[in-house]
Amino acid sequence: MRKRALQVLLVEDNAGDARLLREMFSKEPSGSFELSHLTHMREAEARLKAGGVDIALLDMGLPDGHGLETLRRARAAAPDVVMIVLTGMEDEALAAAAMKEGAQDYLIKGQIENRALPRALRHAIERQRMQREAELMRKNEVELRDQFLSHVSHELRSPLTSIYSFSTIIADGLAGETTQQQNEYLQIILRNVRQLQSMIEDLLQVTQAQAHKLTVELESVSLNEAIEYAVDTLRGAAKDKEINLSFQSSARLPSVYADATRVRQVLTILLDNAVKFTPAGGTVKVEAREYEKDGSMMQIEVSDTGCGIGPEPIERIFEHLYQVTDPGHAGRRGLGLGLHIAKDLVTRQGGKIWVTSELEKGSHFFFTLPIFSLAGVIRPILTQEKSAGDSLALITAEVECRDGSPEVPRKTLDVARMVLQQCLRADSDVLLPNIGPLSEHKRFFVVANTKQDGAESIGRRIQSQLRGHHGFQSDNFNFVISHSFLPPLTRDANESMETFAEEVASEVRDQINNVCLQGAI
Amino acid sequence: MSQKKILVVDDDPDVRLGLQLRLNANHYDVIFAGDGVASIAEARKHMPDLMILDLGLPAGDGFSVLERLKANEKLSSIPVIVLSGRDRVGNRDRAIKAGARTFLQKPTPNEKLLAVIRMVLDPKESTPEVVYDLADPS
Repeated sequence: MRKRALQVLLVEDNAGDARLLREMFSKEPSGSFELSHLTHMREAEARLKAGGVDIALLDMGLPDGHGLETLRRARAAAPDVVMIVLTGMEDEALAAAAMKEGAQDYLIKGQIENRALPRALRHAIERQRMQREAELMRKNEVELRDQFLSHVSHELRSPLTSIYSFSTIIADGLAGETTQQQNEYLQIILRNVRQLQSMIEDLLQVTQAQAHKLTVELESVSLNEAIEYAVDTLRGAAKDKEINLSFQSSARLPSVYADATRVRQVLTILLDNAVKFTPAGGTVKVEAREYEKDGSMMQIEVSDTGCGIGPEPIERIFEHLYQVTDPGHAGRRGLGLGLHIAKDLVTRQGGKIWVTSELEKGSHFFFTLPIFSLAGVIRPILTQEKSAGDSLALITAEVECRDGSPEVPRKTLDVARMVLQQCLRADSDVLLPNIGPLSEHKRFFVVANTKQDGAESIGRRIQSQLRGHHGFQSDNFNFVISHSFLPPLTRDANESMETFAEEVASEVRDQINNVCLQGAI
Repeated sequence: MSQKKILVVDDDPDVRLGLQLRLNANHYDVIFAGDGVASIAEARKHMPDLMILDLGLPAGDGFSVLERLKANEKLSSIPVIVLSGRDRVGNRDRAIKAGARTFLQKPTPNEKLLAVIRMVLDPKESTPEVVYDLADPS
């Protein structure tokens, strides 16, 4: 099979650089490369969209495109084309950032050897092909396994349904009177049905965790609410065993930067275990306080007066499928997946989890989560030296349903967040995580470090990207985008970036509260 | 007051019998269908007050039953509760989009099933101990 010539698009505005690169290709056998050359990003985007390009060489400093933005625009125009970026000698950091954004390689101008260029191109193409294949294989594998598991769990649930329904029919006397002993035995059946059911759920959960399908989306989460929710969930089970389950918190705890669903899930797993392993009349307690080793974290503690964990199992208790096999405590109490899932979830939210325990006295499980700090989110876009005319704008994008329904589907909000993220310039804009009550989550806030006219252009870009995205069943949603500027703030020479960030965050908070008109944060 | 009529559509005879005993004990009339085609025929014949619908069915799965119900002027007013062993993820949204009132996963506790039935049949009068969010009763 004769290979067709590789179509190379060179986007470079410096005539000298372009000539040098062109010469390097001229030494290659004819028919191996075909080079076309453009000088502006706008032309390049059109050319890339038109198709037929195999590989693009992008200068990162074009008259109408700068830095990573060049790469992002090129990739948006043609996601399948292999991108190699051209950077200056002092720009290794930019090159590294470009690789993270999906460039296959980078070349430093002035250091490209003659033969190296075509080779780099061929390698880049080969590398991308291999990545694609590996990705595809992995995807197929995961899909097959998911299908299998969902099938198995369905098959298990059906007979379980009938066992449950007929046991309760007999227990409730719908099939004639039962003796007290029969009733006791039926309760044993039902207890086992519940156990089997939660095993099936665990099984699905852990496979999702392994496929990293248990998504974790960080936002500002009320720790009080999450703990109260989990405690309420376990209240019934605790009462049945006459266990005193309590959460004492005198003050409002700080919000954490975490995923509300996942925090509840971790707490539920820990509380469920605590209740399970604590004898009747015992105590299970939840407490939360600032983590003493790191003031930027909260520490949540779940303690019980249960059977405790011996020194050997305590080492392995967070492992996959590990179970404490103590005959005295009926080992078959689950698949041993709960703590493994909890560890996975805590780690992915930036915290850690550990346990201290004493046999026959009880266990203390601890985990940490980062305290939510608006200043911490904004800090990266604040430049060391502010140039004249720069200012900070707060851009608000609100998604509305055209049919007037107050609830925007969660999926739509997820897509909107993703699209917004893509509209931003790294290093100068930041999309704030969800803040405040759920009803506010259809509003997105961007803090942009921009010149006065820049905010409008970012707003326009967001509007057009959202409108153009196929994820929005085109006509169902409106996007209301507005912006306001923060009062000019300057950092004093002796003021630390941290203090300055706090100052900015407090202004942002005020502005957001103005927009929401109800003191959301 | 005459008893409310519930059409149970499930291909598993054990599930059908279990639901029959439970629903009769709570003073509902129960009629059955074991596949997709029969479910439409029975619905036409009896005009039930409510349909409890499984998803995995022979002769037209639950989704196609929903589709045909909703396309029929007379039958489209019958509220449907989907009761399935399939995963909530994906199936719940799809069922609700196709016109089901809610999605319950098998096995569903009796109290929850009965509370949801009461809410669907008579949203005003029912005062179940636990009020479920019909859109997402889990």
